[in-house]
Amino acid sequence: MFWQDPQFGNKLITMMAALVLVLQIMMVAQRWLVTNIRAFGVQSFLLAAIAATIAHFNHAPHIYIVAALTLVFKAILLPLVLERMVTKIEMQQQMEPFVNVPVSVIVSGLLTLLAYVVAESFHRPEEASGMGHNTLDVAIALFLIGFFMMVNRRKALTQVLALLCLENGLFLAAISLTYGMPLIVEIGIFFDVLVATLLLGILIYRIRETFDSMDVSRLSRLRG
Amino acid sequence: MTILALLLIPLLASAVTVGLRNVRRMELVYLLSAAGSFVAALWLAADVLSAGPVTLAGGFFYADHLSALVAVLTAFVYLVSAPYAVGYFRSDEQQPASAISARKLREYYALTPLLGFSMFLVVVSNNLGVMWMAVEGTTLASIFLVTFYGRGTSLEAAWKYAILGGVGLSMALFGTVLTYYAAHEVLGGESLSVLNWSVLAASAVHFDKTVMRLSFILVLLGFGTKAGMAPMHTWKPDAYSEAPIPVSALMATAVVNCALYAVARFYVLTGHALGTSFASQLLVLFGLLSVGIAVPFILVQRSYRRLLAYSSIDHGGIMVLGLGFGGPLGALGMLLHMTFYSVTKPLLFFCAGNAQQQTGNDSLKRGPGGLLHSLPVSAPMFLLAALALTATPPFSMFQSEFTILRAGFAAQRVGAVILFVVLTVAIFCGFFYHVANLVFGPPSAGPRGESSRWKTYPVIVLSLIVVVLAFWLPAPVYALIDGASRILVIQP
Repeated sequence: MFWQDPQFGNKLITMMAALVLVLQIMMVAQRWLVTNIRAFGVQSFLLAAIAATIAHFNHAPHIYIVAALTLVFKAILLPLVLERMVTKIEMQQQMEPFVNVPVSVIVSGLLTLLAYVVAESFHRPEEASGMGHNTLDVAIALFLIGFFMMVNRRKALTQVLALLCLENGLFLAAISLTYGMPLIVEIGIFFDVLVATLLLGILIYRIRETFDSMDVSRLSRLRG
Repeated sequence: MTILALLLIPLLASAVTVGLRNVRRMELVYLLSAAGSFVAALWLAADVLSAGPVTLAGGFFYADHLSALVAVLTAFVYLVSAPYAVGYFRSDEQQPASAISARKLREYYALTPLLGFSMFLVVVSNNLGVMWMAVEGTTLASIFLVTFYGRGTSLEAAWKYAILGGVGLSMALFGTVLTYYAAHEVLGGESLSVLNWSVLAASAVHFDKTVMRLSFILVLLGFGTKAGMAPMHTWKPDAYSEAPIPVSALMATAVVNCALYAVARFYVLTGHALGTSFASQLLVLFGLLSVGIAVPFILVQRSYRRLLAYSSIDHGGIMVLGLGFGGPLGALGMLLHMTFYSVTKPLLFFCAGNAQQQTGNDSLKRGPGGLLHSLPVSAPMFLLAALALTATPPFSMFQSEFTILRAGFAAQRVGAVILFVVLTVAIFCGFFYHVANLVFGPPSAGPRGESSRWKTYPVIVLSLIVVVLAFWLPAPVYALIDGASRILVIQP
């Protein structure tokens, strides 16, 4: 049956990884914050699906736990929390990137190309059948584009979003290279990411109270 | 068991403090936790010295000479900053415009032990994934210590710190994932022990070279951000000048030590897999860059808090340089420098804190100068500490920097050594010029005399230790440093 055929699993994973990359470039390209957060949610959902697929075809039950955690926290909880923050502090919904949208998309394309070149050095012919190994390129691309988003955004909240995208790239890399880190480590990383997001959220509230703005480029009084 | 004590004491102190309302009791718990951690760290060091590496929970926790040394240094800084913190915040409360409430102080007294716990976890966790989590934990615990005063500038500093730290540590995590991948190919299996450093170090020779090369670059950039290596150092002067003095002292010494400890662990793995030349080149490059970038900022600095931050970038660079020169001398020089630095730097921060609380600002330009008249103890010690920190003989940092220089000659990196000497001399001139201007000069109006014993005694005790260390390094300490340096030497 097709759901037991590793070939099929591999194709499924490749397709989902491609979608993940498309979503990432969409986040760079469009300007509405709420859409961005939802795109992040869908991306996390796809990552959970990739993890579950690998768990199914490799008979590695501990990856199911990782997939479930991703689904609950990153695909549902974090997007909800972030959206509530956006409505609560009534910030402007536009992104206001430093570099305009067409140039940003071209930069993302170039970064994807770079990611493929880097991932090439990991390619081993004898492992061509390994499940999910072809998603490493996407993982590195996510990581690099996440960096670009980080430096290209003014708003505090969008920088947090970029940090989460970086983390998604990492997650995909860990899954595709080694079928996930050991469970305790994986859970610990989850916990760290959650706490970090929470603390950054509190910090954003305080910045908003003090500066009456979320524009990080205004945080420039400390120099030299 | 000592490992457990080391971890549980600060954790418990933090948990207890959350439930307290009385500031005096918070202070007591905090002081007890500092003393307890120091005893536990010494105990651990004694265990390691007498019986070799200690393991616990099936190898999940692991402490060798290197872990014990960094644990003792961390606990030492935690211990000396505890009484100082008590005096510092009491003085803060007496300021007329102070907005320090009991709630605010509880934040400090609960978060600082948590920071201590994270640092102890960094050094005793065998698993590289857990070590990464603990380093991230040091960032998470200290974000709200940086915003303690709630000024606009402290929020700015905390934001830069959190975002840069987050990005840096995500790189370090990527590097850890890659190391796990390299180990996974050789060792196989899904078990937790595949990420254990003691297991990895034994089999790193067989790891894939390409993967380890990329992994080390990412780890160095990542933990380097945490240690404040140039060019990822930009958060450092902001965070150190905005945080309360005891927090700055902890971050500038103990947290830097822990980040460099993580780099050193990966350096050993990479060295086994690739030979030392690749990692050494990167380390020397980043080390020189950090020392070099500190020079202009130290020469034209306007605030002494920021001056201290740039000097800590400089010293982080020197330690990385020692590691990069490699060989028995390089590793020994790095660890000696780490030890002496951890004793000297808190002294400077404490003196700077006393001066800042006395004069109300940390400016070098419009500051009154003439601290010698208003601070009869802290001001001369400030000068002494500045001399010690800039490696003036006979102070001990001269010995460690000299050892690093010899390591550079032994590694035949003459160009790097000459550049290092030139930069260090420039830093000495700038640093000494600023501190001398601050200490000497005509007396200014304003309060005279040291304001609190809590703030004066740590200064006196640390000064004594600095002077004694210049002439005598206790044998057990040297044994610990020597044992730790052997771990960092890679046999070709």
